[in-house]
Amino acid sequence: MRISIVGFGAVGQGVAKAIRSTQERLRRKYNLKIDIVAAADSKGAAIQEDGLDPQKLIKVKTEKGSVAYYPDHGHEDMDSLQVLDEVEYDCLVEVTPTNIITGEPGKSLITKAIEDGKDVVTSNKGHLSLFYKELVGLAKEHDVNFKFEASVGGAMPIINFAQETLPSSRIESIIGILNGTTNFILSRMTAEGSSYEQTLKEAQELGIAETDPTQDVEGLDAACKSVILANAVLGRECTLDDVEVTGITKITPEAIELAKEDGYHIKLIAEISHEILRVGPRLVKDTSPYAVDGTLNMATLRTDLAGEITVIGKGAGSLETASAILTDIINIWKSKH
Amino acid sequence: MRMSLVLELQDVPGQLVAALEPIASVGANIVTIIHERDVKTGALVPVQVTIEGDKETLDLAIKKLTEKGIRIIEKDGIPLKEKVNAILVGKISEEELKGIVDNINNLEGVKVADLSLKMSTTSSTIKVTMEAEHNSLGLLEDKIHKIGVEHRLLVITET
Repeated sequence: MRISIVGFGAVGQGVAKAIRSTQERLRRKYNLKIDIVAAADSKGAAIQEDGLDPQKLIKVKTEKGSVAYYPDHGHEDMDSLQVLDEVEYDCLVEVTPTNIITGEPGKSLITKAIEDGKDVVTSNKGHLSLFYKELVGLAKEHDVNFKFEASVGGAMPIINFAQETLPSSRIESIIGILNGTTNFILSRMTAEGSSYEQTLKEAQELGIAETDPTQDVEGLDAACKSVILANAVLGRECTLDDVEVTGITKITPEAIELAKEDGYHIKLIAEISHEILRVGPRLVKDTSPYAVDGTLNMATLRTDLAGEITVIGKGAGSLETASAILTDIINIWKSKH
Repeated sequence: MRMSLVLELQDVPGQLVAALEPIASVGANIVTIIHERDVKTGALVPVQVTIEGDKETLDLAIKKLTEKGIRIIEKDGIPLKEKVNAILVGKISEEELKGIVDNINNLEGVKVADLSLKMSTTSSTIKVTMEAEHNSLGLLEDKIHKIGVEHRLLVITET
């Protein structure tokens, strides 16, 4: 299977690493050989029809800042959209940064790949939370696979889990923690009694929170994921504008202390049902499945037949997110062979 | 002695049997069961169960039901109240706080049972503990969120 990876940040590099470390097993178990025929970032691309070396890609990116400097096969300043015309491939792995205003450049890349009849796997939340119906509709129209397990919950299985493992049950609601950064901050505030500002700084120093933490701490990242789940799992037609969002910036150490007195933790909870779509801080019992700490994500699916099912897993991280992308790639391969 | 309970069960096969099992296991006699399917709210159905036994047996039956996570919403015709907590954060005057408490108390079936207040230089944090009848819970949740919007407070309620 020939793949083109567009976006070569932490997740793109994770995909390259995961492909390299699993290649023997995938060949043996599924008779699947994955060739990275193109890799692109904002500065250019590397293209090789019989497959680029994943290790070399990562090395060149780390040392020189772009895959465009890949020996003999690098193309400086080549636009990502152009890359898709330069090489024959089967599946686009779109892992460009999330943009919640326009969904670009991911949206144009995905649209082009789908219209060219290629399968698409993405971890990007931006275009999905803005144009879910349009993109999924386009993929159906062109009869290609469009998978995005990695866009929600990183390594934690949820979309494929609900769609493919639980087809017997109607999913009534999903309630969970879908953002690792805020869960880390709230867990630390609970353990240490520290202020929000102080804890955010700590999270930034540890590389858990970004320099501009707005999307995480204002609840927007969790809201994007909620929209994707509402569409993909509950069959609702909604976009980011439909989510009622409250962030964690106003939470005081006093609030956490008062909650603790009665055996509660404060968590940033996403609630997705057929009537409700909201993200906000909530009180959860310290003995409940919602009381997971650190950067972990979790979700409880309430179903009609199977009752409640809870999944927990690492919500972010390079290899963890790559694991979900690779799962989508393997499932596409399995569906065809 | 006899005791009449209203249980709230998921409308899924096997739930009723699962609810009756703890009652039978402690030796209480089940006198009647009325499955009120027509008053279904969402995926939940109230089931009225009349049980018979001595006081210890009946108490034990209630304990077992609670342990199994089965919600008892009424006992001998009296709605059982649930404790609900909410935390409010923001700038708030004593006058406003009084107004909020009155506002909540004016809701039917709801009473403010406890208030804790912590002040810091930038904002106040208030924990309100309320007792509410089961069928007032939805109304209460809406009201608390409205209060939050009105007084520009961050409202943190239970999941």
